[in-house]
Amino acid sequence: MILVIGGIASGKRTYIRSLGYREDDMNSSIHADSPVLYGLEEVLRQGTLSADDLDAVIRKEVVTCCEVGQGVVPLDATDRAWRELVGRTCVELAKHADKIIRMVCGIPTVIR
Amino acid sequence: MLVVGGSGSGKSAFAERIACSLSATRTYIATMRRDGTEAQTRITRHRKQREGLGFLTLECPLSLPKETHRAGVALIEDLGNLAANALFAADGTLHDQTLVAQQIQAEVVSCLEAFEHGVIVSNEVGCEGVSRFGGTRSWVRLVGTLNCRLASMCDAVVEVVAGQPSVLKGVLPWTP
Repeated sequence: MILVIGGIASGKRTYIRSLGYREDDMNSSIHADSPVLYGLEEVLRQGTLSADDLDAVIRKEVVTCCEVGQGVVPLDATDRAWRELVGRTCVELAKHADKIIRMVCGIPTVIR
Repeated sequence: MLVVGGSGSGKSAFAERIACSLSATRTYIATMRRDGTEAQTRITRHRKQREGLGFLTLECPLSLPKETHRAGVALIEDLGNLAANALFAADGTLHDQTLVAQQIQAEVVSCLEAFEHGVIVSNEVGCEGVSRFGGTRSWVRLVGTLNCRLASMCDAVVEVVAGQPSVLKGVLPWTP
């Protein structure tokens, strides 16, 4: 699995297309039958991944997640918990990733 | 060259060093609006930072100069201000984000074509995921889009963290 991390409009989708995937290969639902999970951060709005969910995510070919942890601490407690969860989940997923890419200005950098 | 970084990362000082190393004829294209004391303080700080470096300063908060030919290097500081000034209308409403992106991209390209070298300073603002009000979200997306598009056209792209440059694309004119 390739984990792609980057901020809003940092070029994640364009990068995935450059790998040969099409728009309909990308889905934002974990259990959809598509090789790319696009937008893990939105999935995590529902809370922590179950073991089954985590397993399904790891079996994807590509997983993208928006970098959400670098701004100011959110006023809202739910947002704070979500932001923390997104970061922690990426750390966990990174252990299972073959490659980790960080996008900045549309440029992919292999960070592992 | 595109230079990106967070607030207070030292991206401006780095971009100025780059510009100075590229040519002795230096034009500084300032994009901040002169409204409010905070803007004034910032403008004064940046002017002081550039003092003695021989920059000709052009203040262009709304649209970039279309010159036929100017020698040397131009430094545009910064894309975030330019994007905000173009996106938010005077009455607080938003202009069309897609059109504004095209317009700014075209302006930056045509402005820098008049110079031998161009350095663009931009902001990294897309790394907090919590949705603020719609206008800010559009601006974040606009700056991100412009960063991607201009990065693909630039020979070099540098991310500055704590004053330290990381080269994402191309090579620096000197070794820091």
